[in-house]
Amino acid sequence: MRNAEHGNRTSKGTLALSGWRQLIATLVSAAQGLLPLLLAIAVLLVLFSLWVPQGRFLRFDNLIDLAQQVSVNAILAFGLTLVILIGGIDLSVGAVVAVAGVVSVSLLTPAGPVVAFLGGIGIGALFGLFNGLFAARTLMPPFIITLATMLVARGFALGFNESRPLPVGEEQHLFLSLGNARWWGWLPMPVILMLVVFVFSTILLHGTRFGQHLFAIGGNREAARLAGIAIATHEVLVYVFCGACAGLAGMIHASQLYSAEPAAGQGYELSAIAAVVLGGTSFSGGVGSVPGTLVGAIIIGILDKGLNQAGVHFSLQYIVKGGVILAAVWYDVFRRRVKSRQA
Amino acid sequence: MADPSTCLLELRGICKSFGGIQALRGVDFTLHEGEIHVLLGENGAGKSTLIKIIGGVHQPDAGEIRIGNVPVRIPNVRAAERLGIRIIHQELVLAPNLSIAENLFLGREPCRFGFLDRGRMFRDAERLKTELDLPEIGDVRTPVGQLSVARQQLVEIARALTGALRILVLDEPTASLSEAETEALFAKLRRLRSQGVGIIYISHRLEDIERIAERITVLRDGRSIGTQRAGNLDVPQLMTWIAGREVKDRYPRPVYQPGEVILSVRNLQAPGVHNVSFDVREGEVLGFAGLVGAGRTELARALVGLSPIYGGEVLLNGRPLRLRSPGDARRAGIVLVPEDRKREGLILTQTVGFNLALPWTRLWARGIVPNYTRRTAIIRNAIRNFSIHPGNPNQSVASLSGGNQQKVVVAKWMEQPPRVLILDEPTRGVDVGAREDMFTIIGQLVTQRMAVLLISSDLPEVMNLSHRLALYRDGRIVQEGPAANFTPEAVMMELTGAASKGKMAQ
Repeated sequence: MRNAEHGNRTSKGTLALSGWRQLIATLVSAAQGLLPLLLAIAVLLVLFSLWVPQGRFLRFDNLIDLAQQVSVNAILAFGLTLVILIGGIDLSVGAVVAVAGVVSVSLLTPAGPVVAFLGGIGIGALFGLFNGLFAARTLMPPFIITLATMLVARGFALGFNESRPLPVGEEQHLFLSLGNARWWGWLPMPVILMLVVFVFSTILLHGTRFGQHLFAIGGNREAARLAGIAIATHEVLVYVFCGACAGLAGMIHASQLYSAEPAAGQGYELSAIAAVVLGGTSFSGGVGSVPGTLVGAIIIGILDKGLNQAGVHFSLQYIVKGGVILAAVWYDVFRRRVKSRQA
Repeated sequence: MADPSTCLLELRGICKSFGGIQALRGVDFTLHEGEIHVLLGENGAGKSTLIKIIGGVHQPDAGEIRIGNVPVRIPNVRAAERLGIRIIHQELVLAPNLSIAENLFLGREPCRFGFLDRGRMFRDAERLKTELDLPEIGDVRTPVGQLSVARQQLVEIARALTGALRILVLDEPTASLSEAETEALFAKLRRLRSQGVGIIYISHRLEDIERIAERITVLRDGRSIGTQRAGNLDVPQLMTWIAGREVKDRYPRPVYQPGEVILSVRNLQAPGVHNVSFDVREGEVLGFAGLVGAGRTELARALVGLSPIYGGEVLLNGRPLRLRSPGDARRAGIVLVPEDRKREGLILTQTVGFNLALPWTRLWARGIVPNYTRRTAIIRNAIRNFSIHPGNPNQSVASLSGGNQQKVVVAKWMEQPPRVLILDEPTRGVDVGAREDMFTIIGQLVTQRMAVLLISSDLPEVMNLSHRLALYRDGRIVQEGPAANFTPEAVMMELTGAASKGKMAQ
């Protein structure tokens, strides 16, 4: 419900303007915190443009390709940002990617693309609802809850078609366009979907009362409770959102592969968590931003693609990525400590 | 002043139990318009449960709540707010990651079409700050986590004062406030009273009560025991009501038979500590009086190796010490009973016995098979010598009262007594009976030739228990001498004079 008491007092025009201005100011100040990460992106781009043979890395089509590869991870990470911000965690998103793919693809032929799409989102949201209800209504730690639902979801995906992939029929143009269409011949559909989710979750977290309450819950649950915020409702909705994001990501993934793989999405939760953490969201809750997560996802994407194209052995790629994450989070913790000491 | 005979809030026969434990067994209570009504009682007497019922956090099992003579139900926090009830809780409940303005409007943020209106929020917060005359809160965009405890308290108060206010409940608001800040708070409360607001004030401090109460009601074991008017206050009877037994001298000063100088601190430099020097002798209590935030805890932390020492010397029996970790300090015989016992003094998830035996693993857990006989003996001694109640070693330490938890924190060091004991706010959040026990314990330790550094923001307490007094301000000792040479007024002058200067400098 909107607060009528606050809405009626001043003239509407200036109010809206100042509200948007403030939202932008908030995002700008968040962006300032991201400056080191943006700098890191620039350094990585320069590095790989020199390292990858024939300057292939900075070519337009290569970068578009990069954006496309980042999309699925970024969508998962946006949902996870909200979960981690309230002090939770969702390990099930990778397995939900597989379930959503399997469910939506199997609905395609009997029920058509719209139902299939809603089914994919719906099954993700359903797993999120399950996680959220357990997290909000019991004392079980979300780590354990979602570890369990991860296994359940994976089993569900594997059992659906006896562990065999479900191919997407050539005639399913609408579904295949989810992962493969290019707008105006160059902008991939996954990138557009990713940007839609990005804008939605940015406004949700940074521009609404709901988002404000998430910051409060993550910062001090007791304070939020005593301020009359319905914590359980917020918590459930956050997990539902995260699950729905995983559902969307699963369908994009299946569409890209022309097939729903029951084993898809293994370890995706870890890449998504890495993106969230790289983007400056604190695991203890209450600190973080959606734009930060986008930057985090981009850095991971650049590392993946760049190291690959530079011909680095895959074993070394893991080590480099692990080192980068460790260094980035270490720096973040260090910076925060310096800041709090100055205060 | 409003007509004091108008009954604002009336509670009749309020009962509440949690999982078989009866917290309230029929509480009667009335609050008039324009009245400050103090609620007294030991920890566990049911005060917090009662105010949570008034605030809509808990629902009573039985009994009636009437506001302005109309029976009401208060199903949740929002409903309480609509009735004009505001509660300032004992523990600060602010979100440290959010700004002052965001905390002020938490749960009732100004919105437009569902979108947060931050511009309006900051403007409203600024206006509120002016209206409430709280300029010392500072910039409303500052994250609350960066504020001192006293300023956070001001934010809590400001939050309680937004919107229509009829009943204000404060749960031990002065526990972390200095004298000057307490006086400022009282001035605000008196002004609210003159506007007809009814105020319920919970405190352990008799000094507070004597200064602002109109009536005092005592709770014990979930029942209202009796009510007194402040005009004819009978302190001994009040104490008897609270404790359920007679209470003796309020401040028994420990016997003073000083021995050799045991600890010498010379020009100590550490984070928040600037050039501090002092000596303390065996069998002596050296009190550190100061405002909250004066840097006394920082000194204590440096002395037990919790923060780095940049310069100066710490000598024990004339020998310089290297204090780079709490282990170093303990081996030298210096231990700290920290300010925040729940976070720093105890393993709350564990039992009384676990906590008491923890410092002595090298005595009972050598080799492969732990010596449980030894462990049991250590635990039994501690429980007996410090009359920890209940004395069951297998009980969870979290279930003990604040006073008994504090006894556990002190007792766990005493299997082989340290030479120097640092007590940081040892009676904060501790009830009257346990407070007295704590004083007795200090007396006993002193007769055992221990040196005690007593840090306390409770001025009468630190002045009456200490043999010598050090006035502490901005990380420095500004004056030091025998406690008998100081008058409370002189100490206050020194500390509050410094406080107003300090505020202007900021």
